[in-house]
Amino acid sequence: MTTEIMPGLALQKVDERIMTLNVGPQHPGSGHMRIVVQIDGDYIVACDPDPGYVHRGEEKMAEYRNYITNIPHLERPVIHDSCNVLYPYVLGAEELLGIEVPERAKYIRVIASELNRCIYIMYWLAIYGIFLGHSTMFMWPAGDREFLIDLMEKMSGARVTHAHFVPGGVRNDLPPNFEDVCLRQVNYFEKRIKEYAAVFYDNPILISRTQDTGVLSKQDAIRLGTTGSVLRASGVDYDLRVKEPYDVYDELDIHTNVMKEGDAYARSRIPWLDMMESCNIIRQALQKMPKSGSVRTKLKPNPKTKVPATVYKRVESGRGSLGCYIVSDGKTEPYRLKLSVPSFRNLIALPYLLKGEKLGNMPSVYWSLNYWPVEADR
Amino acid sequence: MLKDLITPENANVFVGKLGDILEKAIDKPLGYAINWGRIWSLWPVHIETACCSVEFGAASSPRYDVERFGIIEAFGSLRQCDLVVVQGTITRKMAPRLRLVYDQMPEPKYVIAMGACAITGGLYFDSYNVLPGIDGVIPVDVYVPGCPPRPETLIQGCILLQEKIKRMKARKFV
Repeated sequence: MTTEIMPGLALQKVDERIMTLNVGPQHPGSGHMRIVVQIDGDYIVACDPDPGYVHRGEEKMAEYRNYITNIPHLERPVIHDSCNVLYPYVLGAEELLGIEVPERAKYIRVIASELNRCIYIMYWLAIYGIFLGHSTMFMWPAGDREFLIDLMEKMSGARVTHAHFVPGGVRNDLPPNFEDVCLRQVNYFEKRIKEYAAVFYDNPILISRTQDTGVLSKQDAIRLGTTGSVLRASGVDYDLRVKEPYDVYDELDIHTNVMKEGDAYARSRIPWLDMMESCNIIRQALQKMPKSGSVRTKLKPNPKTKVPATVYKRVESGRGSLGCYIVSDGKTEPYRLKLSVPSFRNLIALPYLLKGEKLGNMPSVYWSLNYWPVEADR
Repeated sequence: MLKDLITPENANVFVGKLGDILEKAIDKPLGYAINWGRIWSLWPVHIETACCSVEFGAASSPRYDVERFGIIEAFGSLRQCDLVVVQGTITRKMAPRLRLVYDQMPEPKYVIAMGACAITGGLYFDSYNVLPGIDGVIPVDVYVPGCPPRPETLIQGCILLQEKIKRMKARKFV
């Protein structure tokens, strides 16, 4: 009966009532991963996520590249959130190499990081909308995020893969007149995303599909180690920008959005509220930023760490807390680099959330986890 | 031509040769029309292999709108698709699945290799889990360079593919 086609695709004997379904990797609702769901009628009895389709060995690759050449490939896991995914590595490398960052560079980093968070969340929202069958919610965010991408393109020169953060500051100073353009775009953007409430968040169809679906209680959210918007949607007030401020986040006034419900609706609403908070942060940072000054402490070519040391830095990315652990043995390359990614930590909650749900609710629960498969696989 | 061929004695032979005869009959007068139909209804498969899918999504966003060039958004069933856009890195785990998807599609089918990773392995050329390009897995029609390619570049790649289809012999796939 079992004909081995390829690893992981073999037929296996199961209960007559239970059917096993493969969702992905080629499926309009899966992304770059596979979810093996077992269904009884229309109800999911078990679910087994199968990530690893984009495992590219980032951590191993980091061991034979020096601290500067590690930058481009470490931002590839989440290219539309590339500043945030690079942030902990840059912070860690700065501590290992012992360099100071100019004040202006810190503010530019905060602005770039918040713009990237908005770009990421808009893309996620577009995907979430289209997988729920809401075509308008694909077109609106996908169109509106282009304005912020324009800003990042002005700042760094690239559309999505900026490689803008380097140990010691940022690569380039802001272009002339950037502050005004940025303020105008961000104000327009905030006005625009407020309109999403009418078409998406107050839409009775969305509410009926997501409310009380995939409920994650506060205890479970903590026990399973979820992070970011998933954790905050379950009623835990946890945001690294407030709890463990890095760079200049301690000088800015940040409000953490928390919802108590813990269902898919709360999980889809929290990132939207986070975007408005990001707009506030950008406006504050533009105001407080020093108007001139250096943006980069120059490094020697092929910099060496001073002493063998380890460092662990983490930041709040668009999906949650993203950590980078670097072990250095005093050479030009890191001895070991480990990325602790929020996507993988949120994925752990998926089997618990899907148990007992209808199969039709799978996309609304799965994408509400704010999950990006490439990052989870590293 | 057909009258000479069909006799009660060789009716079975004729059925066997039907494909060849139709090909010859169709190629000249209808080849242009068939290719024209293929050009303007390219349906991509919804298979995302890596991070280039972000720019692929952006290409169907309102600003770039790849649909006006006849590339429909990737939401078809495999049996109705005729275009694979390989969106980035192919890992050892994904490669057999990509081949499986390609084999399940009906002819004619075209492949666009999007991004440096799909062409040569790109940034991940020395990674232990990444294939150095997809040429060894499926045949490629158009290469779109970039890491990731801008949506404009992808659209240009699609137009190049359409140019290529225009010059293809239609009967090859009848």
